[in-house]
Amino acid sequence: MEKIVEELRPFFEPNAVAIIGATDKKGKVGNVIFENFKMNKERGIFKGSIYPVNPKLDEIEGYKVYKSVAELPGDTDLAVISIPAKFVPSTMRDIAKKGIKSVIIITGGFGELGEEGKRMEREILEIARDNGIRVIGPNCVGVYVPDTGVDTVFLPENKMDRPESGPIAFVTQSGAFAAAMLDWAAGAGIGIGKMVSYGNKLDVDDADLMDYFIHDDEINVVTFYIEGVKDGRKFIEAARRITQVKPVIALKSGRTEYGAKAASSHTGSLAGADTIYDAVFKQTGIIRAEDFEHMFDLAKAFAALKNKLPRGERIGIITDGGGAGVMASDAVAKFGLKMASLSEESLEYLKEHFPPHAVAGNPTDVVGDTDAQRYKYAIEAFVRDPNVDAIVVIVLFQVPLLDEMEVIDILAEYAEKSEKPIVAVAMGGKKTEYYAKILEDKGVPVYPTPERGVRALAGLVQYSRYLERIKG
Amino acid sequence: MKEEALKVIEAVKASGRNSLVEYEAKQVLKAYGLPVPNEKLAKTLDEALRYAEEIGYPVAMKLMSPQILHKSDARVVLLNIKTPEELREKWEIIHENARKYRPDAEILGVLVAPMLKVGREIIIGVTEDPQFGHALMFGLGGIFVEVLKDVTFRIIPITERDARKMIREIKSYPILAGARGEEPADIDAIVNLLLKVSELVDDLDDYIKEMDLNPVFVYNEGEGAVVVDARIILK
Repeated sequence: MEKIVEELRPFFEPNAVAIIGATDKKGKVGNVIFENFKMNKERGIFKGSIYPVNPKLDEIEGYKVYKSVAELPGDTDLAVISIPAKFVPSTMRDIAKKGIKSVIIITGGFGELGEEGKRMEREILEIARDNGIRVIGPNCVGVYVPDTGVDTVFLPENKMDRPESGPIAFVTQSGAFAAAMLDWAAGAGIGIGKMVSYGNKLDVDDADLMDYFIHDDEINVVTFYIEGVKDGRKFIEAARRITQVKPVIALKSGRTEYGAKAASSHTGSLAGADTIYDAVFKQTGIIRAEDFEHMFDLAKAFAALKNKLPRGERIGIITDGGGAGVMASDAVAKFGLKMASLSEESLEYLKEHFPPHAVAGNPTDVVGDTDAQRYKYAIEAFVRDPNVDAIVVIVLFQVPLLDEMEVIDILAEYAEKSEKPIVAVAMGGKKTEYYAKILEDKGVPVYPTPERGVRALAGLVQYSRYLERIKG
Repeated sequence: MKEEALKVIEAVKASGRNSLVEYEAKQVLKAYGLPVPNEKLAKTLDEALRYAEEIGYPVAMKLMSPQILHKSDARVVLLNIKTPEELREKWEIIHENARKYRPDAEILGVLVAPMLKVGREIIIGVTEDPQFGHALMFGLGGIFVEVLKDVTFRIIPITERDARKMIREIKSYPILAGARGEEPADIDAIVNLLLKVSELVDDLDDYIKEMDLNPVFVYNEGEGAVVVDARIILK
């Protein structure tokens, strides 16, 4: 097994977790984390053992409490620490003696709070390095893995929903962002296979996680919310490795300029932190997201269409509303893509099956009196046409003669059998959302506006071009 | 390549400076095969006259001083000198201008250079990022860089594909590709420049902090490019 997989595996699927600082006081961090594991154990999701550690307690809700790290059973392979910062270094020494190799330090109050904190961080890191221990944190919410029941997110379930499992990994420095994002993803129906919040990033960093996810079959898209990178070269190398096999999407905050003050050359004054990150992302094939929404629009597209990357940039648009078609065409230009020009054969095929008032072309407008069959002819033509690389199907479910379930089944069928990526756009309110969800559950990414659908496809095109470039 | 460049760099360091004047910077560039004009550093008027003869009139003169970074502000770049008489006259003027601008300026000599055919101006630069190391910048010169900041960056080292993509992705690319009936510029020459700068900086990683090649003249397709002015700042 790869070394990195061996090292990080216990964070995601431990045999036995020690919760250091577990308590019976409701709402305390050490209690929420214990409850998370306990509930997941009761649900049959968490299969490992749970060992609370607290010198002042004998048992919590039927679980035996260990007085010290030294007393822990020998199968403990993950320690989650939520005790005050000043006790963490000595606890790390106990952990080292016990031979536990994976530690999540939830506790805050380290490097982010000044010199003494930084000194403690250095001490912790030294113990970790000397004993081959990997550390996530400190000052973080840790790890969430719905499939294995690992959940160190100290925001209780009654306050924060957890997303279902899915092929997307999400990595972030910020704990607050992690919590908000998980809650939001749960609401939006986006599946998250693994979430890591690494806080001060004392040890395990973006590069380590990228290397781990290369080998993780459960994950096929990796998303990062990046505030800063410590070791730039290590980041670049790891990014180059993973993007060869899996798409990586990054949202980078802090677009402030720093160049002007430090630089004495003209070039230096033109180089902001942001321009450098842009360069790094371009050279490593990382897709940069503009914002939170864009990141998950991309993640959704990649999760469904990773194996159907477009061969080119020629987009075909099918719509049942002229305005929506125009919006999509505008977006094609805006995001640097091209409108496909349909082959003669496709045009003839469409004219043959369309009533005279429907528009064969690009966009193809099946118009407001469409039924599901008209969509089928259009999609069939676009899928067959060699001049079309990717397809946007806009469905305004509101039109009177359209059987919603029939058109959903047609879309799902073509999305499955076509080698070209197909995304759907459904604009509307509650009723539309209802059908969009059904369509999405059948594996077709659905977007609420033409612009967002096309922008997601642009991400696929960008990644596809990168792969072509590196593979020559 | 590296040895020659290091000789120049070590000499600059030995004199207690951390930035190379144009002439020195161009020596380093030349060592790595970058196209620089056929120009010579004259320490005396007699040398200047001899070099001008060798190069052929008209010539340009640029006074080299570590204290004068903005040569045109100090009026120590004099162009289109047509005769030995004019050169004698301008030799006095250029020294006088330098003294007026910075009385304490140490004068390393006067660069005697051929008058170059004007090409499309580009800028190539290098900066060092604290996290990612050296980055290479490319853009069109003049207002495109000054006002519009139409530049793009890559982390060094770059590949040929990176170089080509850099050139294509600036907004003012059509000016290089040949807008409004103009002939296209020598894109291959720019690619070559970018790759050579990348190689140079990768090689001299421990010495170079920042660098500006500004401007570089690019000529029409097949006609090459030449570095007109250059600065290198050491670590």
